[in-house]
Amino acid sequence: MGNGTIALVGNPNSGKTTFFNALTGSNQYVGNWPGVTVEKKEGRFKFKGKEYHVVDLPGTYSLGAFSEDEIVARDYILTGDADIIIDVVDASNIERNLYLTTQLLEMGKKIVVALNMVDEARKRDIKFDIEGLSKKLGVPVIPTVASKEKGIKNIIQAAVDMINTDMIVENPLQYNETIEHHICHIEEALKGEDLPYPSRWTALKVVEGDEEILKALRASGLNKDPMQYIDNFYKYHSSENFELEIIDTRYAFAHRIAEGTVQRPEIEVVTLTDKIDKIITNKYLGIPIFALIMLVVFQLTFEIGEDVLGEGAVSLIEGFGGLMESFLISMSAPDWLISFMIDGVINGVGAVVEFVPIITVLYLLLGFLEDSGYMARAAYVWDDLMRRLGLQGKAFISMIIGFGCNVPGIMSARTLDNKKDRMITTLINPFMSCGAKLPIYSVFIAAFFPRYGGLILFSLYALGIILGLIMAKILSKTLFKGESSYFIMEFPPYRMPTLKNVLRNMWDNVYGFLKRAGTIIFVVITLLWVIAVLPASADPYSEFSILGRIGTFISPVFKLAGFNNWQASVALFAGIPAKEAVVGTLGMLYAGQYVEEGAMLVNAIQHNFTSLTALSYMVMTLLYTPCAATLGIVGKETKSIKWPVFMAFYTFAMGLAAAIIVFQVGSLLGFS
Amino acid sequence: MLGNILKIIDRDGYISRPMLSRELGFPEEVVNDGITQLLRMGYISEEKTGEDCSSFCSGCQFAKNCSKEIVNFFKISDKGLGFLKGR
Ligand SMILES: Nc1nc2c(ncn2[C@@H]2O[C@H](COP(=O)(O)OP(=O)(O)OP(=O)(O)O)[C@@H](O)[C@H]2O)c(=O)[nH]1
Ligand SMILES: [Mg+2]
Repeated sequence: MGNGTIALVGNPNSGKTTFFNALTGSNQYVGNWPGVTVEKKEGRFKFKGKEYHVVDLPGTYSLGAFSEDEIVARDYILTGDADIIIDVVDASNIERNLYLTTQLLEMGKKIVVALNMVDEARKRDIKFDIEGLSKKLGVPVIPTVASKEKGIKNIIQAAVDMINTDMIVENPLQYNETIEHHICHIEEALKGEDLPYPSRWTALKVVEGDEEILKALRASGLNKDPMQYIDNFYKYHSSENFELEIIDTRYAFAHRIAEGTVQRPEIEVVTLTDKIDKIITNKYLGIPIFALIMLVVFQLTFEIGEDVLGEGAVSLIEGFGGLMESFLISMSAPDWLISFMIDGVINGVGAVVEFVPIITVLYLLLGFLEDSGYMARAAYVWDDLMRRLGLQGKAFISMIIGFGCNVPGIMSARTLDNKKDRMITTLINPFMSCGAKLPIYSVFIAAFFPRYGGLILFSLYALGIILGLIMAKILSKTLFKGESSYFIMEFPPYRMPTLKNVLRNMWDNVYGFLKRAGTIIFVVITLLWVIAVLPASADPYSEFSILGRIGTFISPVFKLAGFNNWQASVALFAGIPAKEAVVGTLGMLYAGQYVEEGAMLVNAIQHNFTSLTALSYMVMTLLYTPCAATLGIVGKETKSIKWPVFMAFYTFAMGLAAAIIVFQVGSLLGFS
Repeated sequence: MLGNILKIIDRDGYISRPMLSRELGFPEEVVNDGITQLLRMGYISEEKTGEDCSSFCSGCQFAKNCSKEIVNFFKISDKGLGFLKGR
């Protein structure tokens, strides 16, 4: 092999191939991302009239046996014909790179360190004591800029000099006593064997539990005794943390090398996020801060979604309705078609679509919170509370998803790894108020509490959460006892939310909402319209229609809760296929009832409810039986019919009970 | 460092890489490598929050909400707990 072979070893993306190309004049692919070179490349170059062989290896962070790249690199270093290794180190990231250097030194190989990318490091204001580094490592360290071919001659000179000296590389690091003891004994046991690798290193790898090395040892035809010794070692020490201790010692070594020889600028900015985190994850402040943020979100939702954009949506739909009506009349369309299009589609489905602005703004704001990294902290804050209630923080994620829609919320409970957590999370999810209920609250708020939209909405969501948590506590004490698993959350870094993510989150929700209005809500309203105008003998939309009779029959159930007009009762049941249908049904029925000019749904509601019954009705819709899709998914996830039936009834009972309490207590206190 | 990472995340109940980096005095890249090593050795494990519903509910309007990963979750394994106890 000419006058010697040089191997290029280093972390991914540290510049090995750039070196290789500079040396050989070849044109291997260089990419600004890790993992470009996946197998070794060989070439030749001349230096001071002599020819050398050079090998470019795939980049690795360590020399274990954990990936193909590591094994390729390690095998070559140990058994290949390299006379010297150039360890290409990314100077801007030196401590991390030194971990690999540490392992190379342990292999007892001759190495020289190319401190590459010093230009990059300089830009980041990182300073080096090159001499100190070299002294601490016990090998030459040469600064280079491979991409500008700077320092290449120096490093090759150093490498060539090393090839020609008979130096023995000192093992640089000592492990703790126990580990050194085992290394020593295993090395002893292996004495006299024809080992494929250096003996101390082999013994170290045995203690570390390196599978590849064991395989190699077995394959090398080791004698019975040393193999027996090794097998026994594993038998008696399998539960010890030698691997961790060994790796830890290497990190500590790399750290000591960098200490005093590498100077990084202090980064002050980051501590600000530490301070913020300390406050918003504080045991006592965390939840109030979360509540405050949500209150602001809801208030903004109303101010922007309803006050600013809402008017537009309403007049758009009304304008469209008027246009449609005159068009149908001009076509001399039959009366039933006009009635269906105007009362059913425009007043019913349209009443739902009017709330697109609110949905848009709410999910825009929630998406913003999520993308900023805040939600992860909120989940942590809740984790503590939820754990005391027999749940765990991961359930909070299901709850957050449930604020969009309970179906995926419940599905995400699937990833909880024990049955107890899964069941409880599933059963309380319907109390998380989904997007489809928003139109209901909005219309009642517009009718009675236009100035307190944010506060009312906030209170409803909070009530849902609180009752959900109380239920969780009850369930964990009764039906589902046992331990919760304990999770550790990772806080993503705070960042400015990207427009793309926020808009995508918003669009997913708005699109889902619109699609439902066009499909399931449309179907439900159509069916209800048919039974609201039949039989022909009865006045359409009156209590003598089929729908009216059904409503009159069931409405006494809600008498104690105060809203026992039949339209309101029927609307609740219409909400079981899909919640938006509550508003759609009210829109259709009340609009049919109050035909006077300009009578909008809001006016009709003011006629049929009082502020107290509006409150109890909202509480009922918040808590009562979830939509069919949610019940369906509960059945599917629990693989039983029992749980969805249980859910349908217990939530109904909770809803009714809460609505009654609101109404009765309110009446007692003198509200109306 | 590895043992200390484990100790700190057990103490705090969350992982914040910048905070670990500052508390331990190791650069963040090294802390990242340490966490990867702990995962590889099985002292901690990573838990996904919502990926496996994508195939099931891909037809649903809210499918995209289902698979969103708001938070990365980890768990200290029995091996990790055993290590912490031994300290
Ligand atoms: N600023 C700067 N960039 C460099 C230097 N050396 C190499 N680069 C750039 O770093 C990137 C990675 O270089 P490669 O040579 O592909 O790195 P590698 O070590 O072979 O990477 P893998 O094959 O993935 O292990 C390329 O974009 C190079 O142009 C240097 O000294 N300074
Ligand atoms: Mg390469």
